[in-house]
Amino acid sequence: MEIFLQQLINSLSVASVTILIGMGITLIFGLAGIVNFAQGEFLMVGGMITWALVMAGVNFFVAMVVAMLAVGLLGLTAERTLFRFTLTRPMNGFIMSIGLSVILQNVVIRTLNEVQKSITPPVTAVWTVGGVDIIAMRAIVVAITAVVVAVTYFGISRSRYGVALRASVADQDTAALMGIPVKRYVTGVFVYGSVLAGLGGALMIALFPITPFTGSVIIIRGFAVSLIGGLGNVGGAVVGGLILGLVDALAAQYGFPQWTDAYSLIVMIVILILRPQGLLGGTMGPRAT
Amino acid sequence: MNLLTVENLRTGYGPVTVNRDVSITVDAAEIVTVLGPNGAGKSTLLRAISGLLKPRAGRISFDGEDVTNLPADRAVSRGIVMVPEGRRIFVDMTVQENLRLGAYGRRDRDKVEADLRRMEAYFEILAQKRQQKGGELSGGQQQMLAIARGLMARPRILLLDEPSLGLSPKLVKDLRGVILDVKATFNAAVLLVEQNAGLAMSVAARGYLLHHGRFVASGPIENLRDDQMMRDLYLGAAQKVA
Ligand SMILES: Nc1ncnc2c1ncn2[C@@H]1O[C@H](COP(=O)(O)OP(=O)(O)OP(=O)(O)O)[C@@H](O)[C@H]1O
Ligand SMILES: [Mg+2]
Repeated sequence: MEIFLQQLINSLSVASVTILIGMGITLIFGLAGIVNFAQGEFLMVGGMITWALVMAGVNFFVAMVVAMLAVGLLGLTAERTLFRFTLTRPMNGFIMSIGLSVILQNVVIRTLNEVQKSITPPVTAVWTVGGVDIIAMRAIVVAITAVVVAVTYFGISRSRYGVALRASVADQDTAALMGIPVKRYVTGVFVYGSVLAGLGGALMIALFPITPFTGSVIIIRGFAVSLIGGLGNVGGAVVGGLILGLVDALAAQYGFPQWTDAYSLIVMIVILILRPQGLLGGTMGPRAT
Repeated sequence: MNLLTVENLRTGYGPVTVNRDVSITVDAAEIVTVLGPNGAGKSTLLRAISGLLKPRAGRISFDGEDVTNLPADRAVSRGIVMVPEGRRIFVDMTVQENLRLGAYGRRDRDKVEADLRRMEAYFEILAQKRQQKGGELSGGQQQMLAIARGLMARPRILLLDEPSLGLSPKLVKDLRGVILDVKATFNAAVLLVEQNAGLAMSVAARGYLLHHGRFVASGPIENLRDDQMMRDLYLGAAQKVA
C-alpha cells in the first residue's frame, strides 16, 4: 500500500502536466471551437526555454515564469496571425494547428538538436510522511497544478470575467449584445491556454528529460483527458486527468508499466463509447449565429 | 435631432439580399414599430442596427454619430441595446447572473447594484427567482428577464424583436405595460418589431411596414391602421388583440 501511495503521487505529478494541457485544449475549444494541436509543442517549447535558462544559471522558478510568459506570447502571436482568421471555420483552424505543431517541432530541432534535454532537479529533497517516501519536486508539481486548477475554476465560476466567458461560450451573439468583447475573450483563452502549456513544459522538465518530440506524445494525452471529461468543460479536463493519473498508478503498480499509454487510451475509448459527451458533459463548441 | 437615423440600408447573407433601401428614424423616448410578415427582414434589420450584422450599404447614425460599422459590444456602450428574437436567456446561469451580464459593458459599475435592485423591484418575479437558472423560467418570465437584462445596460434605445412570441394574451397585456414603461420609467426609446400588429399599434406612435425587405408603408399609427397594404398583409389580425 505504501508503495502504491508513492506510485500515486508520482502518477499525479505526471497527471498534473496532462491536466494543464487538457485545460488549455478544453478552454480554447469551448470558446473558439478549435482543437489546438500545437498545444503540445507549446509545452515542449516551454520546457526547452526552461532548460536553456537553467543551463545559463537562472533559478528554476524564475525560468518557469519566463517560460510561461514566453509561451503566452507565442500563443498571442499564433492567435493574432493565424487562428483569428479561422474562427468561422474551426476545422481549418484545427488543420492549421497541426501544421503549426510540425513547424514548431522543426524550428526547435534546427535551433537546438534532437537530443533529449534534462536539468538537475531544482528540489532534491525526499519527504517521509507516515512511511511513504515522497519526492518533494513531484509534490511541488502537484501543488502548483492544484493552485492553478483552483484559481482557474473559481475564476470561471465566480468572477465577472468568468461569467462573461461562460456567456460567450454559450452564445456568442447574445454575449456581444451584453457588451462583452467576445473576440478579446478568444484572444484571452488562447493566451491563458498557452501560459498553462508553458507552465506544463517547465514542470515536466523538472521531472523528466524532454525531446523536441515530447509535444506530440503529450498532446494525445491532453486530448484524451479533455475528451474523457467532456471537451469544453474545464472541470472535466481535471477529472479526466485524475482518472488517467489513477490508471497510470494502478498500471505501474499492478500491471505492466510499459503499457501505461495504451491503458489510458483504452480508458478513453471505453468512456467515450459509454458516454460520448464525456463524463461531465462537454459543449458542442461555440454556437453558430 | 433624431436619436436613431437609418439611411438607405442594405443587408444580406451570402448571395441573398434581405433589406433594400431601408430608411428609418426614431426620436428620443419615442416608441416606433416595424411590422411585417414572416421572413420580411425585420430581425435582419435589427441585427444590423445592433451591430451583429455588418450592413452592405447605407448609413446608421445614433445621437449624431456614425455607428454604421460599430460592432455590437461597442454599440451597447453607446446605448443601442437589443433584446433578441427568442429571448436568448443564458439558461445555465441564474436570473441574477443574467441581469448582471446585461450591465457588463457599463463603466459606472457602482450603480449596477442599485439598478439590479430596481429591476427586481419592477419585475417582482425576477426577485423571487433570483437564484434560479434562467432555463427554469417560463416563457413569459424569460421574456421579462430578457427585457430587464437589456434595461440593465441603461439603453437609450431598446430594440425589441418579437417580444410577444409564444406569450398568452394575458402575458401580452403585461408586456404592453412593460413596453410603455420602458419609455416612461426607464427613459429609453423603443424600436419594436412585431408580428402581433394589435400589440404594436397599441403602444407605438409611428410604424413602418416591411415587406420583402423594403418599407411599403409608414407613418403615424392612425394612418397605418387604415392603410390598404396593411389590411392586405394583416387581414384583420389587428382586431385579434386588444
Ligand atoms: N443567418 C442567415 N443566413 C441566411 N439567410 C438568413 C439568415 N437569417 C435570415 N435569413 C433569411 O433572411 C430573410 C429575412 O429573415 P429575418 O429573420 O430578418 O425575417 P423576419 O422578418 O425577422 O421573420 P420572422 O417574423 O419569421 O422573425 C429570410 O428569408 C431568411 O430566410
Ligand atoms: Mg425575426
